[in-house]
Amino acid sequence: MQKKRVAAFMVMAVGMGLGGLVTLLLVLFVARAWWTTPFEVLGFGGAPTQPIAFPHTVHAGVDIILDADGNPKLDTSNQEMNGLGLGCTFCHRNVDKGAAASIPPVEQCIFCHKSIGTDLPEVAKLINAWDNKEAVVWERVHRLPDSVRFVHEPHIRFFTEPGNLMPSGEQATLAANVCSTCHGDVAQMEEVKQVRSLKMGDCVDCHRNYSAPTDCTTCHY
Amino acid sequence: MGITRRQFLRWSGASAVGAVVFNGCRIPEEELQVESPVDLPEDLVTGIDNWYATICRQDQESCGIIVRVVEGRAKKVEGNPDYPINRGKHNARSEAGLQSLYHPDRITEPLFREGSSGEFTPISWAEAHGKIADSLRNLPDKNRFLLVTQPLRGHMALLASEFVKSYGGKHMAFETLEQVTLRRAIKDVFGQDRLPDFDIEHSKYLLSFGADFLSTWLSPVKYSRGYGELRQGAGKRGVHVQVDSRFSMTAANADEWVPVKPGGEGVLAMSMMHVIIREGLGDRVAANALTGGNGYMALDAFRPNNSEVRDATGVDASRIEGLAHAFADPANQPSLAIGGGSAGAHTSGLFNLRAIYSLNLLVNNVSQPGGIFFNPAPPLEELDSREVLDMGVPASFRDWKEMDRPQVLMVRGVNPVHGLPPDANFTTAVENADFVVSFSSFMDETAAMANLIMPEHTYLEDWGDDVPDPGPRYQTLGLQQPVVRPFYPGTGSFGDEMLALGKELGLNINDSLGLSGNDSPTFQDLLKKGAEKLWMENRGSVKAATFDGFWNGILQRGGWWDTESTDKTSPAAPSILSMAWPNIAFQGPTGDDTYNLIPFLSNSIADGNLAHLPWLQAAPDPVTSMVWHTWVEINTKTAEEKGIRVGDMMEITSPNGTVKAPAYVHPAVPPWTVSMPIGQGHTTFGRYAEGVGVNTLSILAPITDVDTNALAWAATRVRIRNTGEHIDIPRFEGNVPAFEAEEGRIIKIASPR
Amino acid sequence: MVNERVNHKWGMVVDIDRCTGCQACVVACQAENNIPLNTEAIFRQRRAIEWIHVERYWEGEFPDVKARFIPILCQHCENAPCEPVCPVYATYHNNQGMNVQVYNRCVGTRYCANNCSYQVRFFNYWEPVWPETLKNQLNPDVTVRSRGIMEKCSFDIQRLRKAEHVIEGQRGERITDENLREGNFLPACVQACPTTTLVFGDFNDPESQVSQMKEEHFVEGGRGYKLLEDLGTEPNVIYLKKVDIHAKTGVETHA
Repeated sequence: MQKKRVAAFMVMAVGMGLGGLVTLLLVLFVARAWWTTPFEVLGFGGAPTQPIAFPHTVHAGVDIILDADGNPKLDTSNQEMNGLGLGCTFCHRNVDKGAAASIPPVEQCIFCHKSIGTDLPEVAKLINAWDNKEAVVWERVHRLPDSVRFVHEPHIRFFTEPGNLMPSGEQATLAANVCSTCHGDVAQMEEVKQVRSLKMGDCVDCHRNYSAPTDCTTCHY
Repeated sequence: MGITRRQFLRWSGASAVGAVVFNGCRIPEEELQVESPVDLPEDLVTGIDNWYATICRQDQESCGIIVRVVEGRAKKVEGNPDYPINRGKHNARSEAGLQSLYHPDRITEPLFREGSSGEFTPISWAEAHGKIADSLRNLPDKNRFLLVTQPLRGHMALLASEFVKSYGGKHMAFETLEQVTLRRAIKDVFGQDRLPDFDIEHSKYLLSFGADFLSTWLSPVKYSRGYGELRQGAGKRGVHVQVDSRFSMTAANADEWVPVKPGGEGVLAMSMMHVIIREGLGDRVAANALTGGNGYMALDAFRPNNSEVRDATGVDASRIEGLAHAFADPANQPSLAIGGGSAGAHTSGLFNLRAIYSLNLLVNNVSQPGGIFFNPAPPLEELDSREVLDMGVPASFRDWKEMDRPQVLMVRGVNPVHGLPPDANFTTAVENADFVVSFSSFMDETAAMANLIMPEHTYLEDWGDDVPDPGPRYQTLGLQQPVVRPFYPGTGSFGDEMLALGKELGLNINDSLGLSGNDSPTFQDLLKKGAEKLWMENRGSVKAATFDGFWNGILQRGGWWDTESTDKTSPAAPSILSMAWPNIAFQGPTGDDTYNLIPFLSNSIADGNLAHLPWLQAAPDPVTSMVWHTWVEINTKTAEEKGIRVGDMMEITSPNGTVKAPAYVHPAVPPWTVSMPIGQGHTTFGRYAEGVGVNTLSILAPITDVDTNALAWAATRVRIRNTGEHIDIPRFEGNVPAFEAEEGRIIKIASPR
Repeated sequence: MVNERVNHKWGMVVDIDRCTGCQACVVACQAENNIPLNTEAIFRQRRAIEWIHVERYWEGEFPDVKARFIPILCQHCENAPCEPVCPVYATYHNNQGMNVQVYNRCVGTRYCANNCSYQVRFFNYWEPVWPETLKNQLNPDVTVRSRGIMEKCSFDIQRLRKAEHVIEGQRGERITDENLREGNFLPACVQACPTTTLVFGDFNDPESQVSQMKEEHFVEGGRGYKLLEDLGTEPNVIYLKKVDIHAKTGVETHA
């Protein structure tokens, strides 16, 4: 009798031990799936280090440009330098035409940088890439999972149509006005980082607010 | 944050167990990056589709296609809706061209070896070019140069003919189951050098003898398109009767299948003619001309109730009379008779096809809707010369067998070592040649025997043009353009190489092609030269004020055609038919367990030149649903008697050898035949073709048509033996569980209205 | 604009009197939809994936024998047996008449395939593998399904979505048969089919060919029928009967 009870207890103990191990493995499995996803992709964490420190502030911003110490940068005639204020679509030309906003080719950077800023170390990297006919491989900042088919074009089209106000309450007139809705004020970012989670809930909330389709196959196919 | 993502990844990846177990959870590094390309032509913009019109070279039909290109990569082939041959339709074979372009086993750079054995070593294109030039320059007897290609048309034919004319030597076109006999028959019956256009769409009674026109015969996409209209287009539904010694895919679709004895097709057609003329049903003028004024009595030997007719055809007198009545019935007009494939692949091949096509004369359907339309000459004069047109005519089996042994052999686009029966001795010719150059993109059997392999661009990366044959009744010039940049920097263009060789060897082909003044002309220049002449004629589908406008126009539309330019010549008067009883002979064993072997072109891999494409290997055969294999089709009742089950390994023995293939048993195999697809059994042709199935062509007996010397590939007899081995055959059938369903649940039948 | 969205009801008419069994649709579908390579081993395991496949039925014995072909694809049932059995709502009927499969929801129970009356759902038993070079052909508009995911015909929804963006969104026009064809927005199988067996369109548009064919053939004595109609699945793919000249006039034979 006693023996049987001990045996049963042993079986239970081993069973529980195994069960615990399995549970632990499962927890680890799920945890790692989450944690190996880069923080930026998950929508929090810092900006990735880019091969060329491209400052959106200088190109897209209009404010006075500050150097690392917080002092205004001066040009050759000792004037304070402002950002160029280029629209997003100046470089990301495809955003109102198709799925991808598109990253500009090196050639496009060189249009200006063959004569501008050639003495700067970061621009030198760019010129080097151009001379060697090498592509510049950026670290991706915004990445949606493989199962999502996000198309920029209809979003831009919707918000630039008269009467469709952006969540900020403004009316967009240019494609470039719409970008900050999801990407934040990139013009103010020295290093670009993701500001919204861009997870499904985020998308669906907005789709609901604007009575956009929420059918799964709007994005998943 | 203290650590970067990369460090974090590296750290967590350090755990080996974790790396193995959780590997699936990680996002590949390249997906976390995004590229600024160096420069960006407009047509390579991220995420934007570009469509380019070009021509499909997967089979001889050469459909017009448009290719979807995204970021410089070809993604999808669709039919070109403008192109007169296929009008937006295409087939499985043209779809799979993309896999040829991105095939993992493509040869990426020129390969060379001394002698005919030993390892290939990569060399540069310029070095390779030098080696060919040297071998040609040092050839003492220039006539011992041989160029073997697929049947060439358009400017490639012009270039090859000029090259051979000024250098010397010979060109031979290779086609696996060659249409030599068909071309002769068309010439004899209609006086036409070019294959005619069959108006299947408007026919009301289509009688096809052995031609697998829905699958592989001549221009299957065009015929299929017409076939859909014949079935359910405007007006009365056309009837299709297939007289065939094999239950082909086309026979499977026919309203009526007449299982004729192999070789008896011509006798059957003659017998029908006897009935039509005797009963005065058809055109009397034609009847008189065909019989030399002697009427049906001249055809007395072919009367349906003659027992010899019954023996040769295996078809009852009443059925022959029924067919004749239906064919000539005014209610069934326009009716149309076509023939080819196995009907022309007998010792009596030419007799058969002549008799079959002569049926058309009796119903007077030439140049009539629903009948036969002749094709005009190519749009450019220089493409119309005898020498250039001969580049498109395949050599017969006898030609191969008796060819002079070449010293320098150049092979482009074909694989005769695999595709010619051993009796043609082509392999010996390759072995004995001093220098063999192959332009193959893949290490096929012929390339594997070469001294030098110069990998050609695939057709999606290269320039070219095509004069379709059979054409669409009017002058057409299809244009092939590179839709993507060459995937490998080491591959080249055959046309460019021929022009460069001509220049290097001091042949004046540049001048004769009108390219003088151009130091290093390319094949594209030659095409432009031709296009310029078309532009100046100012007619047809594209007209423009400037040549640039014209050139862009034809690139955009995939070619040029002029619907007004139909054939204006009147058909030659019918000549008297040969009334002598044909000599229908076979080679191979007779007696128990012996059968006529009817080989056939696979609906997907055709003659085997597409066996390296996995989509096509995996596309089920329509009738048997077999994939990835060679099989032998055996009649159900015969199999029951002999105890053969599906998947039993059979030994198929002809006088020329033995192959082993699994049995596929189905009810529609005539009990006196077995049939096997051709095209498999590659020993080398990339990972998807090697070791798959057997080479059916290797057991064909060297028996030829008595008139044309073409291979009588349907005249081999074989003995089959069950080896007792059994394999699980790969097929689609049974892939989805089949449930016992009450009859007529899936396919419902209606009677014609 | 968004609130005025046109409500489509996509569907197909399959005229089996035109079908020749040529497999063009099968290969076209594989090319468009990133279907894993069906290797010989996969066929032996009876696990080949063909969203559209052609079935062949035999009738009779030699010499009076007939083979009949019928293309079978997801029927996009209005009353689909696959939908209620999915525990995670990965397959459902959307508002455009389509039965859709959401890959990122699917957990691979395979209940839906077991419950499908038409055997048109396919399970990825293995991670799909392509040689590095062949990956260049993959369609960027279609998700590559990983191991453990059910998949099936989607009516090439990626093309329809693009058609909505381009035709309705950018041009502000209605989607018609013509502009679907011109923009290459029709499903790949439909565009390839050389005999025009497959016709695709919007049943909500009375001008569309599918609507007109439905009207023409779903009458007394007409050729229209639905596959396994007695199951009450109400497919959005409708078939037109095969015509047989040997069928007795006026009497419908069940072959």
